[in-house]
Parts: sequence; C-alpha cells; structure tokens
Amino acid sequence: MLKIKGLHASIDGKEILKGVDISVNAGEIHAIMGPNGSGKSTLSSVLAGKETFEVTSGEVLYKGVDLLELAPEERARQGLFLGFQYPVEIPGVSNVNFMKTAINEQRKYKNLPPISAAEFLKMMREKMAVVEMDNSFSGRGVNVGFSGGEKKRNEIFQMAMLNPTLAILDETDSGLDIDAMKIVAAGVNKLKTPDNAFIVITHYQRLLDYIIPDVVHVLFNGKIIKSAGKELALEVEERGYDWLING
Amino acid sequence: MANIMKEKDYKYTPELPEEFKCKVPLPGTVQAFVTNGILREEITIDGGVSLKTHSGNGFIYEAKEGSCCKESLQVISFRNSQNTNDISIENELYFRKGSDSSLLLCTHTLSMDKFITQEVVNIEVEEGAKANIVVMQNEHNASTHKVDFRLSVAAKACIKINVITLHGALLENDFNVKLRGEEAVCDLNGLYLVDGKQRVVTDISMNHLVPNCLSSQLFKGILDNSSVAEFTGRIVVAPHAQKTEAFQANHNLLISSNAKAYARPQLEIYADDVKCSHGATSDVMDQEGLFYMRSRGIGESEAKLLQQLAFAYDVLEKIDSERLRKRLYDLVESRLRGEFNHCENCSMNCC
Repeated sequence: MLKIKGLHASIDGKEILKGVDISVNAGEIHAIMGPNGSGKSTLSSVLAGKETFEVTSGEVLYKGVDLLELAPEERARQGLFLGFQYPVEIPGVSNVNFMKTAINEQRKYKNLPPISAAEFLKMMREKMAVVEMDNSFSGRGVNVGFSGGEKKRNEIFQMAMLNPTLAILDETDSGLDIDAMKIVAAGVNKLKTPDNAFIVITHYQRLLDYIIPDVVHVLFNGKIIKSAGKELALEVEERGYDWLING
Repeated sequence: MANIMKEKDYKYTPELPEEFKCKVPLPGTVQAFVTNGILREEITIDGGVSLKTHSGNGFIYEAKEGSCCKESLQVISFRNSQNTNDISIENELYFRKGSDSSLLLCTHTLSMDKFITQEVVNIEVEEGAKANIVVMQNEHNASTHKVDFRLSVAAKACIKINVITLHGALLENDFNVKLRGEEAVCDLNGLYLVDGKQRVVTDISMNHLVPNCLSSQLFKGILDNSSVAEFTGRIVVAPHAQKTEAFQANHNLLISSNAKAYARPQLEIYADDVKCSHGATSDVMDQEGLFYMRSRGIGESEAKLLQQLAFAYDVLEKIDSERLRKRLYDLVESRLRGEFNHCENCSMNCC
C-alpha cells in the first residue's frame, strides 16, 4: 500500500530525513519509535503533504501513485489520514460542519452526491460512540476549549468519519492519561480491517500494549536504524535507544 | 474575496425597487426606509418606540421611559440616483430612562454614483436604559460614507453597538463615547471586510468621565487586494474615574501582501486604580490551520474561507439576536466567497 524509498526531506535547508525506507501492506499496523528530534513528526508531515518541508530526493508510492505529487487535500481524498500531534483549533466552525464539509469534499472528488442529513447524523452518532465522545462536542467549534485528551479523541473521531485507507497517528498518545489512551487505542482497533493500514508514531511503548503493531521501526537521525516485530518496542522500553544508536 | 464584486446599477424608480420589498423579513422586526436622508414614513411601535422625521435630513428615534419593546426596529437608509449631491444627515437616538430596545441600522447605495454622505448619529442613553444597536453597511464601490456616532451614556445605562461593514469605497465610523454616570457600560464591536481599493476607517474616543464604568472594544478586519483599514482607538480615563475597566482589541487578517492595516491604540489614563488593556495585531493566514483542514480533504480555497469565517466569528457572536446573527453570518460568508451580488441576493431583505 505504501512504499517509501530513500526519502530525504529538509526544512529551511536543514536535512531532517536522511533516507527513510518503509514498506506498509494492507492490514498491517506499523509503529515508528525514536528519541526526540529523530524526524518522526517530519516523516508524518511529509507524508501528509505539509509544504514547509522540501523533499530533496526519494519517492513515496501510495497505492501505486506518486504521493509526493499530490496536494494535501488530494492525499486525504485518496484515503490518507494524519492524526495531528497538536490538533488545530478552529473557532466558529462546529465539528458537525467541519466534518460535513470534509466528507462532502471527499464525496465530490469521488463523483458522489453530498451526504444526506439523515445519513450524516447516523454516521456522526456511530462514530462518536467509537471514541466515547459526548454529543455536545458536535456543536462546539473544532477543538475549541477541548482538553488535550478531547482533542486526541476528536482526531480519532475524525478518522472514523473519514474512514481512511492509511492512517498516520502522530504521537496521538502524548498528553493522554491511561483511560483516554485506552479509548483512543480501542478506536483504532475497532477501525482496523484487512484493507486498511496504520502507522502509529509514538515515544513510548505504553500505547503499543493496546495497539499491537506488526512491525516496529526505530527512527534515529533521519534514518530507520532498526525494524523488527512487536518485541522491539519492549526491548526499547527496557534498554532505551542507546544500544541501537551505538550498536 | 479576491473576485472584484459585480456591481449592479439600479435604475431610478419612483417606487421602492422590487428588491426592497420584504422577501423574508426577520420576525419581530418593523422596517422603516430613509431615502437620501429623508424618512419616508413616521413609525410608532407598540411598546413605546417611535421614529420621526428630523427637522433637517435624518430621523429621531425614541424609546420611551421605562419601555421595553419586544419588536426591533430596522432602519434601512439608502442613497439612489434621485439625489447624487453630497448630503448631510443628522439622526438622534434617545433611549429614555429604564427603556430596553434594539435597533438595526442598514445603509446602502443603489447606484454607482459617487455618493458622499456625512452622517451624525447622536445617541443619548439615559439612566438605566439598555440599547442594542447593530449597524450593517453595504455600499457600492463609488460610495464615501462617514458616520459620526456621538454617545452620551448615563449611570447604570448599557449600550452595545456592533458594526458590520461589508462593502464600500470609503467607510468611516467615528465614535465619541462619554460615559457620564457611574456603572455605565459601553460595548463597541466591529467587523470590516475590505478588498479591491476599499478603505475602512474607525476612530474611537472612549471617555471614562466617572468611576466604575466598563467599556469594551473588539474590532476585527479581513483585508484583501490593496485595501486599507485604519483603526484609532483612544481610551481616556479621567483623574477621578477610579475602578474603570476599559478593554480594546483590534485584529486584522491580511489576505494579500498589498493590503495595509494601521492600528493606533492610545491610552490616556489619569486615574490610578483602573483595569485597562489594549491589543492590536496584523496577521496572515495560519498555515498550520490551513494544512489541518486540507489534511481532512478540504480544498485550499474552502479551507481559507473557513479560516476567515473563524476569524470573523467572535465579533458576530457579540450580536444578541440569534436570527440576525445567523443572517449576518451568511452575508459575511457570501461576501467572503466573492458571491456577494449587491442587493440582488441580499438575505437581509433590506436591499
């Protein structure tokens, strides 16, 4: 589904990604771990199409298409989702209207008519239940006045609404207490199918107790220095990164 | 908003043009029309509100002592090619003791003539009165309109003015507010949307003459193309006006690198036990916010529009009437979409 080959990216002339290679198949969950400043968030931003980063070389194929050629909205419409580490507040735009706009823009792209009000409401209710979100959130401005945990839950809710093929979750667990993390993880597990895939970026192994990855990658200094099964996460938790960096 | 507005030139008709007839009047609203400064019909509303002709051009509005008017008055003032001379209008608004009323003032032009309109609005808010005024300005690109609001606010009186400036060549709103009695409150807010070569000027002089008064100003603008917005906000706290609370904010969103926003906050505080603040910003679009929306599949132009609406939101939220707020929100949205076809599609039904 996703093939990243020799990806180099920089910001303001400073190289952050120095040749990343990752291959993700449908039905898989990949975890990307790594110390601060290793390039984890840059990787997710580059995949989602953030224009402040410049891709200097390498390629990314998503469902056989050159992902780097697409605008962020086109990537989203083709089923890519990025769960933000720091979700943005949009005052005055309610969650309902935001999601309706997003869904209808995706439907327009697929030559489908706008979603009916009844269908949309039913979907809202179902997906809010996935992340145990209170109905009162729907009328509030997107992320406005939400706590850190609520914002992250809202990311998972949006993911559920948009039903992506490939979801990248950028440190969705940061700032979450254990209960909120369980809810987020349960949301991901409910949405997982043999046809979609997840890339979970995290600092800690903790989240991976609840979302079991098929592959764990360690990113350091802009490169994947180790890829292995889920046991790698446990080893990192126990031994830190030094043995990998120096080894 | 980058599209230059399509202007429509209305021909003079002795009767009100079709567009003026109520399409969907706001429930609970009584409408009055002022053509080139002349009030067409005097009005009295049950509940103690009247609108009468001023001796010169303009009108006199009065909410009687102790009255509480459930119906809101909408005064639709427009210029048309019947009189293209420069005109001066003087309006007087009296909110008598203990009264409680709402007023919507809309100004328009119906032709592309180079109108120059000078308007004075004297506002007297007597003791304990509550006055709620919304001003909506929507004029052609050849119109210059200067409005001089002069407010006198007595003890325990409360006035709220929200000015929504949608369109016009040069629109200037000056406010001279005198808080004369203790515990007077003045809440002054504005939203201006400018593009092309439009210019909006706001000049406020907020005078706290006595102790224990509260004033609050929130003015925000969205500027595209080569438009200009100027904001001057002076707060003067007299030497004995202790326990004054005075706040001021002016925020501008610049869509184009050629647009210019000038903010001049001026505080003159002569008392020592006061709470005053001011803030002025000029900002460009938030790229992180746009990226967030685009990453959800929302196209770039729609994302920009949502961000502008979000920027305008907190000023519109100050409008108490939910129905009016919704309509103004829709007007602002269509204006920002560049779909705003003056008069023809106006959902305010006032033009």
